[in-house]
Amino acid sequence: MKILIAVKQVAALDEDFEIRADGRDVEEEFLIRDLNEWDDYSLEEAVKIKEASNEPVEVVVMSVAPEEADEVLRKCLAKGADRAIRIWDEGMERSDPIAIARILAAAAKAEAPDMLFAGVQSSDQTFAATGIATAAFLGWPHAAVVSSLDYAPGAKSAVFRRELEGGLLQEVEIQCPAVLTIQLGINTPRYASLRSIKQAAAKPVELRTLADLKLSSGEVGESGSHSRIRRMYIPDKGQAQLIEGDAAAKARRLAEIIREFKGDAA
Amino acid sequence: MSRTDAVTRILFEAFPTAEVRLFYALGYAAIGIFCWGAYVQIRKYRRGAPLTLEGSLWSRASDMVGKVVSHRTVNRRDHAAGGAHRLIFYGFALLFLGTATITLQYDILEPLFGIRFWQGRFYLVFSLVLDLAGIALLGGLLYMMYRRGWMKLPKLDYARTDRALGDPDFLRPEYRREDWAFLWTLVIIGGTGFLLEAARLVWLHARPDVWDTRWWSPVGAAVAEALEALGLTAQGGGVLRVSLWWFHGLVALTFIALIPFTKVKHIFTSAASLMVRDPLAAQRLTRVPAAQEAPGVAKITDFTWKQLLNLDACTKCGRCHEACPAQAVGAPLSPRDVILSLREFANAALESASLPPAAELGVHGKSPGQVAMETLWSCRTCMACVEICPVAVEHVPIIVQMRRKLVEDGAMDPLLTKTLQTIHKTGNSFGESKRKRGSWAKGLPFKVKDARKEAVDVLWFVGDYASFDPRNQKVTQTFATLLHQAGVDFGILYDGESNAGNDVRRVGEEGLYEVLAESNIAALAGATFKSIVTTDPHSYNTILNEYPDFGAKFPIEHYTTLLKKLFAAGQLTVARPLSRRTTFHDPCHLGRFNKGYEAPRELLKLLGCELIDMKRCRDNSFCCGAGGGRIWIPDPVGSDKPAQNRMREAAAIPGLQVYVVSCPKDLTMFEDALKTTGNEGKFVVKELIELVREAVVAPETLAVPA
Repeated sequence: MKILIAVKQVAALDEDFEIRADGRDVEEEFLIRDLNEWDDYSLEEAVKIKEASNEPVEVVVMSVAPEEADEVLRKCLAKGADRAIRIWDEGMERSDPIAIARILAAAAKAEAPDMLFAGVQSSDQTFAATGIATAAFLGWPHAAVVSSLDYAPGAKSAVFRRELEGGLLQEVEIQCPAVLTIQLGINTPRYASLRSIKQAAAKPVELRTLADLKLSSGEVGESGSHSRIRRMYIPDKGQAQLIEGDAAAKARRLAEIIREFKGDAA
Repeated sequence: MSRTDAVTRILFEAFPTAEVRLFYALGYAAIGIFCWGAYVQIRKYRRGAPLTLEGSLWSRASDMVGKVVSHRTVNRRDHAAGGAHRLIFYGFALLFLGTATITLQYDILEPLFGIRFWQGRFYLVFSLVLDLAGIALLGGLLYMMYRRGWMKLPKLDYARTDRALGDPDFLRPEYRREDWAFLWTLVIIGGTGFLLEAARLVWLHARPDVWDTRWWSPVGAAVAEALEALGLTAQGGGVLRVSLWWFHGLVALTFIALIPFTKVKHIFTSAASLMVRDPLAAQRLTRVPAAQEAPGVAKITDFTWKQLLNLDACTKCGRCHEACPAQAVGAPLSPRDVILSLREFANAALESASLPPAAELGVHGKSPGQVAMETLWSCRTCMACVEICPVAVEHVPIIVQMRRKLVEDGAMDPLLTKTLQTIHKTGNSFGESKRKRGSWAKGLPFKVKDARKEAVDVLWFVGDYASFDPRNQKVTQTFATLLHQAGVDFGILYDGESNAGNDVRRVGEEGLYEVLAESNIAALAGATFKSIVTTDPHSYNTILNEYPDFGAKFPIEHYTTLLKKLFAAGQLTVARPLSRRTTFHDPCHLGRFNKGYEAPRELLKLLGCELIDMKRCRDNSFCCGAGGGRIWIPDPVGSDKPAQNRMREAAAIPGLQVYVVSCPKDLTMFEDALKTTGNEGKFVVKELIELVREAVVAPETLAVPA
């Protein structure tokens, strides 16, 4: 039995930051990297299923990312994943969520899991597309925003619940293998002690390239993408002004401003 | 030759040989049972993890003998109990030595070499000394009975705060029964000893060497006179003597046989515990050995033999129970009960011939003998228990070892989990950007040197709270101003500094502590300085006592001693004495941990302040509740907090103006507690640094730069 989990190393902004020279992202040095919060929950869900199962279950995490993502993959190993796969090739740079999903789907085919989890979204880009697009490439049943799950590894179907508007809960049965995107709060992710993280540092991260997945360079990166980021910027802030003085002065100034806005300043 | 030269007591006088042989047989049996029991106990300790002690055995032994003989540790904070125990101890020891002396002559020297010395004047003085010893023993025992029976001391109440009524180990009446059985047994042995002495005198009234020297045994003689007055004849005395002799002898032999199986064993275990004491038990926690598979303690056999011995050394005196701040506010922790629980567990699991399977040795949980995680997380690692324990039980390392296992399992408050992750990510507990660590220095009218880039005399290790907490940042700026004003060449590490790790280590996250310590050591090693100063007692403790285990020994002092020196050297002078009524709160990590009691008090005196110490001060200072990572764990809603308890104590000082602290966490905790206890407006909480600043500068220049 195998559960595959797509994870991502996300970037969080440091206190002050600057936009990169090409205007399409934040300057690298102002980013703090960590495991995507949603992925922490989907990994925990898989590890919990593994721990509750009498059958042997393999929990495998995978990520499409350059070498620096090994850190979060090792964190996943520390938290109970059995194997970690990192998929990368120079040409994968600037892939949009659809291209990433194509890569993940190819890797998933090779791994042939009984279930695939992804986070609902990533905290840095927030496309909320990768998981579902992966299901589309695989042609598997899928569901988004799963908030509770009953699944026995190897079972033909799983039952999960989703939270809808107005406090409604929807219970769904789904055929396996399936792709589920996992919502925050589905469980309480465990603490990975520094000791377990250090021990995981010795474990291997398996590398897969385009050739391994039998993908062409045209299917990934910018050429394999349907969208591209044009620019990233901070919009001009609205302006506020503190009016000072006594009540009469404040009222006078306020009246002036109103007149200015009405256009009859003169 | 005078008449008294030959006086002695003939052993087994008028006993048939068979009875003497019977007595010897019983004696050997008692010793045999004692030895078996001792073996079982030692086997129990040996089932613990190995540990090699530092220091010479000789200095350890002499240190132990000094403490036992002087009773210094038993006497602390309870002179009445200490005095009574002294009487029992000296009485018992002398009576034991007396018996040993008789054995020496009767069973060894006389049969082998024909040497006799237990006679004449020596015998008479011996009799007198042993009578006095008997009185001391009985007096001490009677006081202890009064104490247990009538004084109703909370520390002698065995009801537990970490268990509920109805739990099998909530009240533990067996402890009470054992206490009384112990006292009564000794009283009976002592009492029958005197009666026996008197019966013999009456029996031998006709023999002048016995009767005429009777007042050398004053108690025996007085009782003999009384018995005779009541009509006891010499013949009656003889009969009484034989029956008492056997009764006294059998009770005494039973007592000896039972020593290893009852609380009486504290005679040995407490002494041994004192001998293996670690003077830095709480200040310098131990590293997790590289070869150890899982950190911390999961099973009873994961404790070291020394810790298992510690468990048996406990005499239930309750001093830790009384000193514990968690216990004082009703948290489910009593250091005494942690020890007693584990002891019950060890006795049940490790005294049998074969070791039970590992699955039955887990010490975490809520069953009898186990310790609940709520209990372990209630600890502030303030060291009040370790410091006051008369027999060197080291509770804090035991608790932290158990927490290490909890951390590994993630069994902790979610907020604590978050904080640890934050510290790992950012190097500080505030989740602030590393870059902002030195931001407080920006607002100063002078530049604070970057010690990573230029050499400084004094490297200031600022610490998390002093760097990031807005209220403490003001104090930090004030201290920088004082150093600047005194012309001290100082600098800080800016974002090269991380949380020192003291509290992370006490939480039990040893892996994270290693990361922090190694990172700070690398930063410190890269800087050029003569000494380190810090305003944070927590950082002070770990850099002073724990970084050396990571190969880094730096000279470091708390700011109070540095300021004292600056005043002494005339670099700072008091321009405006402050005639305020103050009290000083000894921070755990400065006071109890590192004995820094004097410098802050001398500074207050120097500033012209009147100092009125609270009852709980110096070594008995009461923790603010923030230690051991508790500052990152919310107290249960509606519960009393140690800081509030402390504020009420301070508020009882008439006319108190300033509650002086010298630790960033104290400032946070007590300013909060001042408000929540409704004492705001009555007195203020201030850092000693703020008072120093007020006193050394003219009032118009007082404003702290923003």
